[in-house]
Amino acid sequence: MEQLIKDLKLQIKNALNLEELPLEEFDENAPLFGDEGIGLDSIDILEIIVLLEKEYGIRLANPKEGKAIFQSVKTIAEYVQANRKK
Amino acid sequence: MISVLSTNITSPLGFTTEENYQAVLSGASALKRHKGWGLPEPFAASLFSEEQKDELAIEGYTFFEALAIRSIRKALTYTSLGNDFSRIVLILSTTKGNIEALGEELYYPSKAAQRIAEAVGLTTNPIVVCNACVSGLSAQLLADRLLSANLYDYAIVVGAEVQSKFIVSGFQALKAVSEEPCRPFDIERNGLNPGEGAATIIFARTSDKEGWCLMDGATCNDAFHIISPSPQGEGLTAAINTVMEGQDKSRLATVCVHGTATLYNDQMESKAIEQANLSDIPLSALKGYYGHTMGAAGVLETILTMRATDDGLVLPSKGFTEPGISGKVSISGEPQPTDKTAFLKIMSGFGGCNVAALFEKTTDNRQQTTGKTTLIKAHTIRISSDDGQTLTDIYKQQIGNYPKFYKMDILSRLAFVATELLKKVSPRGDLEGASPVILFNHSSSVVADRVYFDTIRDAENFFPSPSVFVYTLPNITTGEVAIRHHLCGETSFYILPKKDETLIQQILEATLSCSKARSVISGWIDAESDTSFECDLSMYNIIS
Repeated sequence: MEQLIKDLKLQIKNALNLEELPLEEFDENAPLFGDEGIGLDSIDILEIIVLLEKEYGIRLANPKEGKAIFQSVKTIAEYVQANRKK
Repeated sequence: MISVLSTNITSPLGFTTEENYQAVLSGASALKRHKGWGLPEPFAASLFSEEQKDELAIEGYTFFEALAIRSIRKALTYTSLGNDFSRIVLILSTTKGNIEALGEELYYPSKAAQRIAEAVGLTTNPIVVCNACVSGLSAQLLADRLLSANLYDYAIVVGAEVQSKFIVSGFQALKAVSEEPCRPFDIERNGLNPGEGAATIIFARTSDKEGWCLMDGATCNDAFHIISPSPQGEGLTAAINTVMEGQDKSRLATVCVHGTATLYNDQMESKAIEQANLSDIPLSALKGYYGHTMGAAGVLETILTMRATDDGLVLPSKGFTEPGISGKVSISGEPQPTDKTAFLKIMSGFGGCNVAALFEKTTDNRQQTTGKTTLIKAHTIRISSDDGQTLTDIYKQQIGNYPKFYKMDILSRLAFVATELLKKVSPRGDLEGASPVILFNHSSSVVADRVYFDTIRDAENFFPSPSVFVYTLPNITTGEVAIRHHLCGETSFYILPKKDETLIQQILEATLSCSKARSVISGWIDAESDTSFECDLSMYNIIS
């Protein structure tokens, strides 16, 4: 799980061009959306959906399903672990 | 105010305005479910058949060009524009033009526009309007300004779009495409359908006959998000209110809405319509017949609404049965009679832009020339890779602290950096909320187009990137600037064959003569890479 969280942080940072967010400050429990946390937006969600398909073979057709999954890197990691196909 | 002389619609439903109108009256739609172009997901779309393509093809031209040429030629058969070709301008509205020619000279939208202009016998430099979904209305507004400023006598406005794997995969990546025929404003709506076609309106500066006129128009940015409309629809409300100020709304037969059938667009439009006190005016949403024909949509839907109003009808909103929006509106899947002779056309699009335009059938179409506006260049910023610094270096050393910089494509980064530097040298107060942002270039969004194409090139590694696709519309640059500086005035992006200072100045002056803004940000912006870019951006003050 720890390795998966580490991988996801790097993959998300690269896919979303989070250039000014150092990996060591990327908290897996921080909320990804809204002003409090990492501050991602709706296009970023869609890009994470692509990332999950590309890296883990997970197809998420409806972005609405993603609300619970995309709360934090931690919740994404839990979802990936349970559903990954590669 | 300018007069409509002649029109044409060339679509899968017919090759003349009349054929199209009759097809729509009979309830026809060209929307069909497709699975092709190597796309993993099916989609519903309105596409030309192979037989229709063969019939429309012109040797030596791409299908996109042939479509526009055919449409213009048809429109020209109904009218004569005289012999002074220096007084006729072509305005091409498209979002992706010859995108299939990416990598070739033909890709450049201004090249296509030149080839189309020459094919129909024009000699002036064409202007390409690339304002995403609203382009077709923006192009008509530009025609109004150029003719009202007496720069030309006639404007040929052609909107055209050909669908492709490039466009459809991008909208699918944005989860915006429906597999079924779209259902504008309906509770069951779940996305748009791509459509292809061309539509032409020939406008005259003056006409002595009774007929349709474009009376007025306005463009307002949401300054909210590059692709999501502001939920409260402030920008669209402001555009409608600007156009309807002092007008009697009881003259309106209909409001022809954008109605893409995406959840967010239709909801936002319903809010804006209610806020603008137009809840009792019947709406017509026409995407159920043609899908979203993108660059053609604003022209095509305007023509169809003129024709239906001539016939005393408000067209049924095909696909609509039960309202699925929270704003109070009057919309119906049935035709409604009308005896009115004016309508409002509204559109909203990526980049946060919203346009409203008022059309009316009138005999009072005497020539009106707008007052001359003089623009004074207050400040100019020139940045170029020739100075030795990369764009990222300039950002890091002189700006910083805007993480979104790294998410932008190269063109938006350049516009962002230049605007930041321009703001540094401008005294406070020059930039106000209504200041328009009007940018020009030659190469459209070629870099973003290449980057996006790389994500769909390989069938084995097919992962279309939504965040890259968004930037394949060059007017997103104007949206980024509007968001950063909370600018809610007009935003426009024009593509020209070359940096033609005279034409740019004419477009700016004609635009600002119709505006209440006191300053404008405008300039030339072209970028190949972090180490190859050129931007010449100015803050102008307006003296009317």
